[in-house]
This record gives sequence, C-alpha cells and structure tokens, in this order.
Amino acid sequence: MTVEFTPTTQSELARFVAENAVGDKRSLCPVGGRTALHYGFSTQEPDTVVAMSGLARVVDYPARDMTITVEAGMRMDELQATLATERQRLPIDIAQSGRATLGGALATNTSGPRRFGHGTFRDYVIGISSVDAHGRAFKAGGRVVKNVAGYDICKLLVGSRGTLAIVTQVTLKLRPLAETSALLWCGFDSFATIDRVLERLMTSDARPVAIELLNPASATLIAASSRCALPTDLPVLCLGVEGSRHEVDWQIESLRREVAPFGVKSSDVVSEPEAAALWQALTEFQTCADDPLTFQANVRPSQCVAFIEQATKLNVAIQAHAANGIVIGQLPESAATVNETTVILNQLRQSTRAGGGNLHVLHCDPEWQPLLPMCGEAEPAWPLMKELKQKLDPHGLLNPGLFVEGALLR
Amino acid sequence: MTVVPKELTQTSKRSQPLLDRLRVVVGDDGLLHQAEQLLVYECDGYTVEKKCPDVVVFPTTTEQVVEIVKLCHEFDVPFIPRGAGTSLAGGCLPIGGGVMIALTRMKRIIEVNYRDRYAIVEPGLVNVHLTNHLKGSGYHYAPDPSSQGACTIGGNFATNSGGPHTLKYGVTVNHVLGAEVVMPDGSVAQLGGVTEDSPGYDLTGLFVGNEGTLGIATKVIVRLTRDPAAYRTMLGVFETVSDATKAISEIIGAGIVPAALEMMDQGIVSAVEQAFHFGFPLDAGAVLLIEVDGLEVAVDEEAQRIIALCTQSGAREVRQANTQKERLLLWKCRKQAFGAIGRLSPSYCTQDGVVPRTKLPEILEFIIACGQRHGLRIVNVFHAGDGNIHPILLFDERDAEQIKRVLEASDEILGKCIELGGSVTGEHGIGVEKISFMDKLFAPEDLAVMGAIRDCFNPTGRCSPGKMLPTSAGCGNEAMPRIKPGRRAAM
Repeated sequence: MTVEFTPTTQSELARFVAENAVGDKRSLCPVGGRTALHYGFSTQEPDTVVAMSGLARVVDYPARDMTITVEAGMRMDELQATLATERQRLPIDIAQSGRATLGGALATNTSGPRRFGHGTFRDYVIGISSVDAHGRAFKAGGRVVKNVAGYDICKLLVGSRGTLAIVTQVTLKLRPLAETSALLWCGFDSFATIDRVLERLMTSDARPVAIELLNPASATLIAASSRCALPTDLPVLCLGVEGSRHEVDWQIESLRREVAPFGVKSSDVVSEPEAAALWQALTEFQTCADDPLTFQANVRPSQCVAFIEQATKLNVAIQAHAANGIVIGQLPESAATVNETTVILNQLRQSTRAGGGNLHVLHCDPEWQPLLPMCGEAEPAWPLMKELKQKLDPHGLLNPGLFVEGALLR
Repeated sequence: MTVVPKELTQTSKRSQPLLDRLRVVVGDDGLLHQAEQLLVYECDGYTVEKKCPDVVVFPTTTEQVVEIVKLCHEFDVPFIPRGAGTSLAGGCLPIGGGVMIALTRMKRIIEVNYRDRYAIVEPGLVNVHLTNHLKGSGYHYAPDPSSQGACTIGGNFATNSGGPHTLKYGVTVNHVLGAEVVMPDGSVAQLGGVTEDSPGYDLTGLFVGNEGTLGIATKVIVRLTRDPAAYRTMLGVFETVSDATKAISEIIGAGIVPAALEMMDQGIVSAVEQAFHFGFPLDAGAVLLIEVDGLEVAVDEEAQRIIALCTQSGAREVRQANTQKERLLLWKCRKQAFGAIGRLSPSYCTQDGVVPRTKLPEILEFIIACGQRHGLRIVNVFHAGDGNIHPILLFDERDAEQIKRVLEASDEILGKCIELGGSVTGEHGIGVEKISFMDKLFAPEDLAVMGAIRDCFNPTGRCSPGKMLPTSAGCGNEAMPRIKPGRRAAM
C-alpha cells in the first residue's frame, strides 16, 4: 500500500530517506502539484509518495540581484506573483500553474510558447539543493548568476523526473517583467505557405518570443479556450512579441508587413489584456486533452511543417513551437484502440527519427502504458544515463522503473 | 577514490613501445616527444605550476582519439585533452605526465544550418573563426570570451567559458545543443543532438564545464543566435569606484539587462590608454563600458535611461560610441586590457571571483583594503553586470616576499567572495589553481556526489587526473604546492 510523507524541512526529508535507504528500501516517488505524474512511463505503484507541498517557502529574494531562492514545493503561480511585486519573472510558461510546483515543473522540464525567446529551465536554474537516494543532502551551483565551480548538477536534475534526487530548493536567475505583449495570428491557405513564412521570419526585423503553429484541429480547441476568433479551417501562425508598448507596436507592424506578401487569409492582433487568455491557451494545450493520448515530438525546425502536415492527415491536433521544432500532438478520439494508436505513433515516430528527432508520449490512458511504444528506440546515450542512475541510486529507490529505466524496456 | 596512474617517464622502458604505437595512429608529424618540443606544453595561461607531458599527440579524427585513449589504458598512463592552452586555472596541466591530446588539428566547421539554427564544429576550431564564418548571415555564436582570438570551441565546452556578453546571452552551456564525446574508456558517446529537447538526462549540460574529467569532446553542436538589430555602446566616466558600482546597481535594479556591463578602474584605464590611445580620462576613478542591444526602436530609449541612471549616480559624463569603428575600438580596449598591464608591472596575477551584484561595492572596498594591508597594487577590470570580478594583483616575481603577499591577498579575496555568497570562479574554471577552494565552497556531501559522477564515467581516473575535485588525503596526486603566482593573460 502506498503511504504518503510530507516533509517540512530538508533535514526531515534527508533523515527519512536515509533511514529508508538502510532500512526498508521502499520506493520513493516525489510529487509536487501532481499535474504530470504520468510523465515518464512508470508502471509501478510507489511504496511511498513524498509530497513536497510542505516545503514551499521563499528562502531569499534579493530582488536587485535578480535572483531568488525558494523551496521546491512552491506553486508556480505563487512564485510568479512574488516576483511580480518586484516587476520580475521566471519567463517560462507552465501549464496548470495553480497546481504545478517549481520542483515538479523543473523535474519535468516543462516549457511553453515563449521558450523561443527565453529558453527553458536549464537557462535559469543556477543553484539547487537536493536529497539523494542515500538520504544525503547536497547542493550544486550557487546563488550567483555566473559560476563554473564543480559539475553542473543543476542541468542534470532539470528534466530528471525525480529519478536521481529529490530537489528541495532552487535558486533561479530572473528577468524583468515585460511592460506589455501582443500576439499576431494569421491564417494561411496551406502548410507549404507557412513553411515559406517561417523561412522569411528567420531574418525578421522583429524579434518574436513565440512562433506557434496550429493546425485546424488545435486552432479550434485554442480558439474555444481563449475566446479568440482564430480560423478553424486553416493552418494558423501565432507570433508573440514582448517589450515596451512602442516596441510591441513596432514589431507587430513589422511582422504584418513581412507576412503580407504570402497571402494572409485572415489575421488579427490580440493585445493585452486579451492577450493573456491566448497566451494561457497556448500554454495549457499540452495538458488540456480529453483525448486518449498526448505526445511531444522534437524535430528540426525545418522539418516541423512537413511533420505537422503528416500528423494533420492522421487527424492529430497539433500545436508546435515551430521555431524550436517542439511539437505537441493530441490523438483524435477516433484512435480508440491500442492498435490504431500504435500505428499512428509508429508512422509519426519514423518521420522524426529520419531527421534526428524523437517522439515520446506525455500522457495516455494508464492502462495503455504497458501496451504502447511510449518512447521508441533507445537514444544512443541511454546506456550512459542508466549507468549514472545506478551510480547515484544503486538500489533503485527513486521512482523505480521510471524514465530512462522504463523507457529502455520499450 | 581515484586511482592515480603511474607516471610515464622519459626513461621508462614502457615509453618506447607506447610512442611507437601512438606513431602508428597519428603519424610522424602528429607526435612530439623531445624535451625541447614539450616545453610549450608544460603549462597553459596559468604558469604557477608546470609539468611536461611525456608526449603530445595531434589527432585529426575521432577514431584517432579513440585509439589514443585505448593505448593510454593499455599502457596505464594518464591522458589529458588540450585546446589552445588559454586556461587561466591550469586546466591543461598534465598532472602525472602521460599523453597530452592536442585537438588543434581538428578544426573543421562540419555543418552550418541557419534554418535549424545550429553549427557542428570540431573542438580545435578557434572561437573567433566561427564568428568570422557566420558574419553577414544575421546569426552568430554568442559566447565571446576575451581570449576568443585564440581559444577553441572544445576548450570553451570543457570549461563552460563566458565573456563580456554573458550578462544577456548566457555562457557556453546555454549555447550547446549536443556533442560527440570520446569517453574516458575510449567509447564514443553522442550527447544531445540537433533537435532542442532530447529524451533522458541532460548529459550535454553536465558535460559542459567538466574540465576534461568526463571525456574529450570531438564534435560540438552549437546553437546560433540572431544578431541584434542595433547596438548602443556607452562609456560612463565616474569620479570614484563607488559611484560606478552604484550606477551598476541602479541599472540592474531598474530592470534593464544590458548586453554587457564592464568596469575598469583608474589603474587599468591608464594602462589601456597608453596602449590604445582611445581618449580615456586618466583622472577618472572608474569607467563603465555599457552596451545595450535590441531593436533599433528600443535601444535609444534604453540608452537614455542608462545615461540618466549613471548621471544620477554621479557620473561625470557618459559618452556614446558614435560609429561602429568607435564601438570596436572600445571593445578592443576592454578585451585586450590585460595585454596592457605589462606597462604597469613586470608580473601580475588575476582572480575570477563572483559575488551577488549588490555586493560589488563591498568586495571592491575589501580589495582596496586588502591591497593596502599587503602593500600591493591591485587594479580591476571585470564583468560588473554579472558580479564577476577580476582583480589583478601587480608584483615583481623576482621578489619572493611580494609573491607570498600576492598569494595571501588572492586567497583572502576569494575567501571574501565565498563569505558574500558568491563563488571562486565565474568563468575560468577550478582547474588545479582553485582546487583548494572546493571544500570551502562545497560541503563534503556535495563533493561526494560530484565524485560519484566522475567515478561513474572516469572510473580509472586516467582522464585528466587531479583536476577540479579535491582528492582524498593520501591519494598522492594533490596539486603541487603553489610556489609563485604567474604572469597571466586573462579575460
């Protein structure tokens, strides 16, 4: 039976994990807001859930240094609200931020539309405190924005799905809040046209922070949740800009001028405050599925459009951070059986593989997990990752069977 | 615990067969082993400690690197990779001798892909050669260490190099997507790739900055960054260092992230002025070199805000570079500042501490007091916006007593950086120079986890022994005791 443990200090957690390591050796599953527990393909019920919600304090916020140190269980919306009081932010879009915690978002390396302009967690985590599988409390990095002392274990723990250590405290580099933002959306007659637009945008006068590509199926969903009148029968490009009002207006005008020659079928500018709803819909898409399965594909930006065209033919709803080559897909309800889903996944995975990319399932019916090809072939570096996991967690106590271990099996 | 490989000595009976086997791999012109040839390789930019490798090899392919590494295991000798040897922390010091693998002949640009925003390069490629190759494309490789005219991408990868523009653009790790690495056991690993997210652990992120202890990068996939549309480069002139640090705090506090924010104090300004004749005011206490970049419509407004903040903080004047030529000259003065120090002193020693930005006034006051206490002249040129200080301690290496004071003062300054919540290295790395600070900066548990990571990938310890992590007492390969500070080039 799964039991739950909610530490309120790092030393309490360390003691608990240390006793477990020499005693019962029960498996431990650290959780934050429990918004992404399905990530990483575990098929095992953990013996103990370690709830990090009791570690949610601000440790130090020297705003003029533009850094903050907080405990990992802090909710993302609370973190952003704290930062906003100093007109600062962590510029990473996190879905379900009213539940998701910093530690959870970091462990799953969550990102959203603005990653094109601002990057991902690995660009902002400058220090980390954790408890390893032996119950050893350790830290890496520090509290200064530039620091190359020792191995960068911060990078290793970002996206590690709680399989190497339980993150207890994080120091982040911060950015100023943008004065304002706006999104320009444009419907085009075909994916081929959008491909040419994306090429044109490589040398745009503007510096968009988000370049989002939607197919009609995802545009329909995002239009409904954002109450924006996006076309639902055309592929749509959403271009997001930030800055002072003057910068935002100038960039929107530049982008309009640059895309005009490609035959824009319909378009509009969504400014603040309405823009907030569209940003949110673009952030939440990856978790909003009622549909049977959500995947993420990583492809080269130049192959993004071809991939989306193929997925569209298979009735998959697609949102892509197109300039990053990150594609989120939701399978249609018609893909009702494991067999049909497997066929679609295999077809799409083949395309990603051809260009050096990959595709993995983010979310699906838990009963399907053991039956589906969740991650495809092993990545070339997985044997090294497995060695590292064994070195740091020799008894396999942290999220056993999850992530690298689990993915190797399938 | 790391096993220390036996040293390969010139007289060793084992050395001739190894030389013969290495010669088969890299050819006659790919190998140096005469004592006078090896002298160049006895140290890098950190000249305090010296040790010749027994042989230097110059592979031209990944396969050759693999063969070399396998031979090192067969003959039980240590090996160490080397790029241009610009490390300021002894990263290229061949502790225990052995085989030095110089990667300078692997310098091809294999692929540049603008649409997918990456380039694949070999490790021996000089940083500025990539910059030059990309010129005119609208894209650039962002990390620009001051030694970029000499240092290599492989060396940048190994040490996670910075540079003046890291304030806005980040350091090397923020611009590396993946790498091909010859692991310490001679296997070849592909880390990351040309797509942004790869499933699994971010081994690329872990390997950047490994200081050669986890393997040898033989290809690096770097990210290309869009060029800024416009720059505004300013020179703020201040009566005192404290006015200048106040301005830094005001600029960052106002939510402005300049592309670069560099400080030079009076001592360094006078040396630079003698060398480059820019027209710096010689009576100013400090100058700030401030660059903003971005959209043409935005940079003027941002520059005006900065000028106002500098003026409020007591700037005597704020000049703007009016032409690209002026801008480049200003940057030349900054990046080659260390070259001008020879005008001030026969020898010097620079440090690489970091403090939270708001602690800059405190650390600079401490440095002044420290210099007075030890009767030393210390000048400063550094990445102020990042809180990354480079105090330069001037001395005459013929005076042993002075040298002792320089070492004491250096240690006090770095100790103060730790006390203020900072670090002992922002961009130069730990190498051998700062290894004794690791247990002041990190707890035994922190070092144990780092040690476990090293042992996982480098279990024999033959790959770059004695670097970055302090060894347990009695292991026998602690860094040699420091005898004298070096005369060093710096960032």
